[in-house]
Amino acid sequence: MVKKLVILKNITKTYYTGKVAYQVLKGISLEVEEGEFLAIMGASGSGKSTLLNIIGLLDKPDSGIYIFDGQEVNQLTKKELAYLRNRKIGFVFQAFYLVPWATALENVLLPLLYRGKINKEDEKKAVELLKRLRLEKRINAKPNELSGGEQQRVAIARALITNPKLLLADEPTGNLDSKSSQEVMNIFKELNENGITIIMVTHDPEIADFAKKIKIIKDGTFIKE
Amino acid sequence: MFIKYKLLWGGLFHKKLRLFLSVIGIIIGVASLLLMNSFGESAKIKTLKEIETFGPEVMMVVAGSVKVHGGRAIQTEITTTLKPADAEALRKIKGIKYLSPVFNGDGIIRYLGNNLTTIVNGVNEEYLLLRKFPLLEGRNFLKDEILGYKKVAILGYKIKRELFEDKNSIGKIILINKLPFRVIGVLAPIGIDASNTDQDDQILIPWTVAISAVYNVDYIRSIYLSVENLEEIHLIEKQINKILLKRHKVSERNKDFDIVKAEDILQVKTQTTELFSTLVKSISILCLFVGALGVTAIMTLSVNERKKEIGIRKALGAEDKNILFQFLAESVFITSLGGAIGILIGVVGSLIFLPLFDYPLVFPWIPILTSTLLTIFSGIIAGIYPAYKATQVDPIILLRHNF
Ligand SMILES: Nc1ncnc2c1ncn2[C@@H]1O[C@H](COP(=O)(O)OP(=O)(O)OP(=O)(O)O)[C@@H](O)[C@H]1O
Ligand SMILES: [Mg+2]
Repeated sequence: MVKKLVILKNITKTYYTGKVAYQVLKGISLEVEEGEFLAIMGASGSGKSTLLNIIGLLDKPDSGIYIFDGQEVNQLTKKELAYLRNRKIGFVFQAFYLVPWATALENVLLPLLYRGKINKEDEKKAVELLKRLRLEKRINAKPNELSGGEQQRVAIARALITNPKLLLADEPTGNLDSKSSQEVMNIFKELNENGITIIMVTHDPEIADFAKKIKIIKDGTFIKE
Repeated sequence: MFIKYKLLWGGLFHKKLRLFLSVIGIIIGVASLLLMNSFGESAKIKTLKEIETFGPEVMMVVAGSVKVHGGRAIQTEITTTLKPADAEALRKIKGIKYLSPVFNGDGIIRYLGNNLTTIVNGVNEEYLLLRKFPLLEGRNFLKDEILGYKKVAILGYKIKRELFEDKNSIGKIILINKLPFRVIGVLAPIGIDASNTDQDDQILIPWTVAISAVYNVDYIRSIYLSVENLEEIHLIEKQINKILLKRHKVSERNKDFDIVKAEDILQVKTQTTELFSTLVKSISILCLFVGALGVTAIMTLSVNERKKEIGIRKALGAEDKNILFQFLAESVFITSLGGAIGILIGVVGSLIFLPLFDYPLVFPWIPILTSTLLTIFSGIIAGIYPAYKATQVDPIILLRHNF
């Protein structure tokens, strides 16, 4: 039997701006198996990022149950959540979010800072990752010396350095031209083939086509297939 | 290993101008704190040294009432009631070692067309022994010269330099207020004494000549005396007081003389130095405090600007304590950097300014230690708020595309 990595049951989330309440998620249920590659689509403001924040343990739902890798996460402390993010989840963002003053190599190593030591092995591994992503010539470049596609590839390397089970990506190609987008998606596909579970948010149907499965959010819930 | 620290600290050196600006307040605070502390320490030593030139066993009986003011014995009014006979009367007290009547006045000195004005002190042959003033050349007065109204003079070191330069002065005739005096000795350099007068800028002559031929008065200004035994000084002071009250037919209330000991001067002096240094220390600490506030402001700004960096660190697994520590450490680093530069400036400043103002050179160990501790302390205080702000950054902002 294939293990379920993410189980969401009836997740709700409401934002308050001043006194105005706005329920973004109105009972989302979702199951993602290990090895899956899921694309989440939906209109702007439909709550895709909100959902991804919850799945990525960056935010908590107002109600509902979330079981990540066999663990009910509602009751976990901040510290335990930070630990899970560090060990099991990799993030890729639309705006890359590389640390501007650090080199590509240093950015890739950043997650390991929160495990304590960074040793020579880690450095070797980071260099290999960068090579795999065809960045061997850019190892010591700063983010502002890199193209968008290169920056996103550095960000992917950063997400992969911890060997995560789950890769979360919010519009990973949103800031890229079509050539770089294709490149990034090919990397995702290859990673997925090697066993990493991927949940990706996108607007772009062409990008979503790289996924094995597509779900669409509307009015705070998934549209039934 | 290096990369770890680069990832922890790299953000600091990213904006160098800002780093410098945030550090400058601390530099000023610490440098002034250190400088003032060194001056304070040095002033204490200086006062003690000055008292040494006066000697704890020395007393002055001064005509008129004397106020010790800012370490200076100031004669508030000229009184003519202290007579040479009073000095003779005091000699009878047991336990007095040396005693000298003193009459001092201004003198215009001439030598081969060289003119200068200085203080002329009329004293006797015991004065040099009493004040422990060493002679560079020549000899002391003889008792016969005092009694015999001989016009002989001992020159202060500066006076000798100004009138004679390197040439021999012994045996030469100089004019003091147009009267010819023969130079018999030159004092070694002494410097400024406890009464704040430059002892190198004076001429000593027999007091008998001073009150008769030079100034034509029948009184003296003061009597210097020293005691055999330091323990008896208070006892002898009382006896002097008693004798003079009786001779001058005055009461304690309206007495026309004052007795000043080294001890009295020391007391007032340390009081003033301490008051001054407390004041200055408070100001420097205020400076440091303002500098720390500057660090708080700049660090808060930096936290606001680096929200994305903080968010990503959290998303990647940083706990609140990691973020707190990182930014607290940045504040401490900035303040310590400022502190180190401040200490450097303070030390160099002390080494330059202390000699410039004639203060004894002391290496300010204790001020360095206190400044260091204060700096680190204020760095932590300064860092608390921005570091707390940093922990409050919510990583969900990373997924907001309008961010
Ligand atoms: N912290 C917040 N406070 C208040 N409202 C919020 C907050 N975060 C998101 N929202 C609102 O919730 C709604 C859903 O936001 P979300 O970012 O999840 O949408 P999205 O599907 O990712 O949109 P897009 O495709 O534009 O990125 C939006 O209307 C947004 O304005
Ligand atoms: Mg979004």
